[in-house]
Formats: sequence, structure tokens, C-alpha cells
Amino acid sequence: MANNENPNRDLTPMENLERGKEKRGMGIKTRRRISNTIAYVVLILISIIWIAPFVFLIFQSLEVSSTGWSAHVIPKAWGFDNYIYLFSAEANFNRWYFNTFVIALFSCIGQTLMQIMMAYVLSRFRFKLRKPLMNFMLILGMFPGFLTMIILYNVLKDLGLTQANAVPGLILVSIASSGMGYYVIKGFFDTVSKSLDEAALIDGATRGQVFVKVILPLTKPIVIYTILTAFMAPWGDFIFASYIAFGSSQGYNVAVGLYQWLTVEQLPYHYTHFCSGGVVVSVPVITLFLMLQRYYVEGVTGGAVKG
Amino acid sequence: MATVVLKNVKKIYPGSTEPAVHDFNLSIADKEFIVFVGPSGCGKSTTLRMVAGLEDISEGTVEIDGEVVNDLQPKDRGISMVFQNYALYPHLTVYENMAFPLRLLRNPKMSNDEIYERVTNAAKILGITQYLTRKPKNLSGGQRQRVAIGRAMVRDSKVFLMDEPLSNLDAKLRNQMRAEIILLRQRIQTTFIYVTHDQTEAMTLGDRIVIMKDGFIMQVGSPTEVFDRPGNLFVAEFIGAPKMNTFMAKLVKDEKDYHVECFGEKIPVTGEKARELSEKGIGTQTIVLGIRPEHMVFSEEPKPGYIPVEVVVNEMMGSEVHLHVTTPEVPEGAYDTLTEAEARSRDFADEQLLLPGGKKELIIRIQTINLTDKQRAEFVPGKKLYLSAESRVMHFFNYQKGKLKTNLLYGPGAEAEASLAN
Repeated sequence: MANNENPNRDLTPMENLERGKEKRGMGIKTRRRISNTIAYVVLILISIIWIAPFVFLIFQSLEVSSTGWSAHVIPKAWGFDNYIYLFSAEANFNRWYFNTFVIALFSCIGQTLMQIMMAYVLSRFRFKLRKPLMNFMLILGMFPGFLTMIILYNVLKDLGLTQANAVPGLILVSIASSGMGYYVIKGFFDTVSKSLDEAALIDGATRGQVFVKVILPLTKPIVIYTILTAFMAPWGDFIFASYIAFGSSQGYNVAVGLYQWLTVEQLPYHYTHFCSGGVVVSVPVITLFLMLQRYYVEGVTGGAVKG
Repeated sequence: MATVVLKNVKKIYPGSTEPAVHDFNLSIADKEFIVFVGPSGCGKSTTLRMVAGLEDISEGTVEIDGEVVNDLQPKDRGISMVFQNYALYPHLTVYENMAFPLRLLRNPKMSNDEIYERVTNAAKILGITQYLTRKPKNLSGGQRQRVAIGRAMVRDSKVFLMDEPLSNLDAKLRNQMRAEIILLRQRIQTTFIYVTHDQTEAMTLGDRIVIMKDGFIMQVGSPTEVFDRPGNLFVAEFIGAPKMNTFMAKLVKDEKDYHVECFGEKIPVTGEKARELSEKGIGTQTIVLGIRPEHMVFSEEPKPGYIPVEVVVNEMMGSEVHLHVTTPEVPEGAYDTLTEAEARSRDFADEQLLLPGGKKELIIRIQTINLTDKQRAEFVPGKKLYLSAESRVMHFFNYQKGKLKTNLLYGPGAEAEASLAN
């Protein structure tokens, strides 16, 4: 072909395509490699920053050469002495741990029931003042909970639910206002077609059966999300727990109890104990989270998509 | 064994003053298949939901099997229902979906064996046995609708309610399911109330059809009755597709017979129709004349009594041809005209279509087999034709401005008459 000899000839469409492919293909590959590298470096840096305290905590909890503050990260002597101390009668940790567990368990049950039932009612029933009630609760919920600290303390004190009796007091506090957290759950319930309720009612179900047999199975992610958050919140609660139980070691939860070991007077004697306490506290939360994480992700994002 | 009686049933939605359903009176016989039909917003679904117990009844009573059920829960009314969007439980398999109403039964509780028996039996009838272990999301629209019907079937309910069950299906499947509902109906002998906006479904399924508009019953009757003897102009135009041609005309009484004058032509009214008119003592008056598209006859040559028209659209439907034609202009001042305020008012909606000056569009329906090849090629836009109709296919409607146009001969249904009084 004559064309072949001419270096300035126009390229045939086929050749053009081939050349373009090569050019673009290389570009994309290189660019992707660079951006991936950058992303990985940044992510690795962030995860080091994020994980370091936990590694540090675990190392310190295994340090047995001294129970006080130490300047080294890797223990000089390894052992489980701190954990043994933690569960011995000497420390009050068992009591705190038990308190926290009871509070978390009952708050979790109570809060979940209150919230899902509240959300169902607001999603499905039409009654007078429904809208004003919802707005009112939403606005109330915007104020931080500890604004009510003083009045709550006085009320609980009059009921005799402070200090050594702080556990039922704390359960009461966390359940009492939980219905106001209906909002996200209601949004989730709203995505379930109302005709399912109607079909079930006609099929012979009572309102309660509709809720338990139709709505709850369909909204499992949000229910589990509610259970998780309701369990975790009291687990790490410090402000309420510290002032309602104040002064009585019998009423402490783990956060308040462990914090006693971080005061200036206690730190030299209990620092490694605190670290082992921290590890033990995180075990149930991590277990729960790993078990239910699939639902957790769905629960956080699922409400947005109509299903 | 169940009759359903609705007495003066009325529905006013909260926050609204205008009732969605006005005095609704209907007595449904045992094992009857009743169809509520009407355009959207006519109150047909609301009425059905009141029978089901999903809506409160504002006034009046609903009786099922002789018992007033106004204050009964849906589950205590002995009804089952099929929803437009199927409303299957997504988390349950087809088997569990159908077993759901049976598992809820108390006093006596149903044994698992009997549940199995009933569900598989219903599945066999509906041809969904192979899908019993699937979840609804893995089914096609038609299969889902079958499951929904199956769920309603397994219980021995007194009344079977269906709320537009076929409107989510495509046209072909809809025709197939319609035929299956007819078969189903023969198998399960029970009372049916079926809601639809599709007049074909209403005509093919119903023993009796209830045609509704704006919360009023327009006519109740068998498919033949409402087609042959529409009580008023609304029913006449609603039933039948394409819709009936209607236009203003003048009915004139001669010595012996009658004739109608429209578009400057005189079409004779003779025979049985003329006898009926004169028996009713009907004299010369302005009327609305209705002729169904399939009843029009055409000529290619001008003839006395034939309206000259011009073809504007030719729709070849296969077995038949639909010709859209325009009439000559209606002479100025031939009939009442609307004042400006009336022309904008909703109360005169009917007139706005009938009265305006200028040309009117009609449709004629011709069997393709009756046309020669030459005619088929020639009937294109611009072609002049001449239309007429025999007197036995004419429908005469009373014309009074702003009022329901009732059939001169057969009158309105009793219910429509009540709505006229309002």
C-alpha cells in the first residue's frame, strides 16, 4: 500500500483506536497505582494512630514488674498478675463489673422496648397531637442529657436511688427518656408498606401480632442497632454514674470505679490494674459488636433506602 | 354463605368537609360477584376498605351475613382480601405466607397437618406448587399475585375482597389472570367484591357492576344492562372502548316517527325506538345523542341522513380499524352556550366537552374484514366520509345544563336519582 510509506499520512480509524487504547490504558494503570499507594499510606498511618493506644493498653496490662506508671511500652516482666488482682476480693472490680452489666442489660432491654414500640405507634397510628408530640420530643432530645443532672439527682435522692442504690437509679434514668430516641427507628418503620399491616390485620392478626410477626422481622437491622447502642451507652457512661453513685464504691460502674485508680494518690499503685481493667471492659462490647456488625452497618445506612 | 348489605354508608375523611362516599346503598347477594368500577377518586376503594374494616365508617351500616360489622375488627369480619401491591410478607416463604392466616387461628387451633393440606391444595389450584419454598422477591408479578390470592383462599372466608388485583401486571398477564379469576370464582363459591378502574375487567368478571363517580353510584346492573341501557351519559361513556360518541342534537317528533337533527342532517328514528319514545310521551327537545363507535355506518357517497365527516387519524388495530373523524362545524347559536363563568366551573365539565362551537371529533370502529383493499388504502387523513346510524343503536340523553344527563328512555338508576337530588 502506498499509504504505508507516507509517515504523515492520516491514521485509519482502526489504528487510531488502537493507539488511543494504548495511551489511555497505560495512563489509567499508572494513575490508579499512584492513587492506591497514597490511599494505603494514609490509611496505614491512621490505623497506627488508632490502634497504638489499644496495643499500649494491652502491653501495660501484662506488665508485672511494677503496678505504677512506667515509661516503657514493652513490659519488663510479663504476667497475668494484674488480672488476678482485678478479680480478687481486694479490688472492688467484680462489684463494678457486675453493676455495669446489670445496668447495661436492663437499660438495653428497657430502652429497646420503649424505642421500638414508640416508633411503631408514631409510624402507624394516627391520633390527635401526634405531630406536635413528635416535634416536641425531637426538640427536647436536642438538649444534652446532663442539663437535667441536678433535678434528676434530687428526684433520685428522694426516691432513695442514689449512692449504694445507684444501679436501679441509673436503669430508671436511662429507660425513662428513651422513647424520645424514636426518630431513626420510625424512619425505618415508615419504609415498610402499610398494606402489610393491613394484610396481616385481615389475615387475623392483632396489632401486637402485626408488630411482632411482620414488622419486627422486616426491620431486624434497626432493632439490633437499637439493642447495640442501648447496651453500649451505659457501658461507657461516666457523668451520670459518677454523680448518682458518688462516694459509694458499692454503686460504681466500671468507668467510675476505674477512674478512682487514676487519681494522683492512686496512680502509683494501680496504674497497671487500670490497664487490665480497661481490657476486660472492652471484651463484651467487642464480642457483641463482632457478632452483630453485619446488622449494625445495615441499621445505620438501611433506613435511607426504601426496601 | 354470606350476603353483604351497605345501608346509607358515608365516608368523610378527617379534615375534609366533602364526603368521599355519599349515601351508598347496595345489597349483595350470596355468592354474587360484584365489581366496583369508576375513575380514580370515585370512592370505590374507600367503600371496599370500609367493608374490610380498614377505614372507619362515618355514617350508615355495613352488614355481613346479617350482622352489623361497623365496630368489628377486620379479623372478626370473616373476610379475606387481595391487595393491589400483593402485600406479601417479604421475610416469609410462599408456603409461610399462605399459612400465615391459618397459623393465627385460635379456638380451635389448626394442626400443622391441616395447614399443610390446605396450603398445598390452594397452591395446586393456582399452579404455584413448585414455588412454595421461595421468598416473594424471587417471584414474578403474576406469581406473586397468585400467592396473594392463595393466601386469601386458604381460609373459608365469607367474603372475598379484591382491590385492583391486576393493575400491577402487564397487559398480557392481566388478560390471563382475568380468565383465571373467572375459573377461580367457579371453584370457590363465595361472595366477591372486586374493585377496578378498568371497564373491561368489570364487564368480563362481574355478575353486577357498580359504576361510581365522585362518591356516588351512577348505575348498578349486569354487564349487558349497563352496556345496552346506560342510565346516564357518564355510564354510557365509561363503559365500552373506545368510548361512545356523544354530541348535541335535536330530537324532533314527526306525525308518526321521530328524527334527530345534528350537524345539519336529519337522521330518522323509526321502529321499536320510535315506539318506545312515543310511549314515554317524549316530544321535541334538545338532547345528547350517543352512538357507539362500532354501531356507526358509513358511506363513501353523500346520502340524506348521513353526516359528512373528514378522516383525521386512522388507527389500524389488526382485526379492526379505528377512524377518528371530524364533523362539520356546529352552527352558532344552535344550542345553549356556556357563560364565561360556567365554562370555567367544574360543575359544567360535561358541557365543556359537548357544547363548544367548532368541529367535534368522533370515532368509528370498522371490522377490517368488511373493508376492501381499496378502502383500506384510501381511508387516510383528508378522506371524506358520510356517517349515520340505525335508530336501534341510538342512545338519547336528557339535556339540562349543569345536570346529570339521564337516559330519556331508561332513566337513571335509583341511586343516581338520589345523587341528582343533592
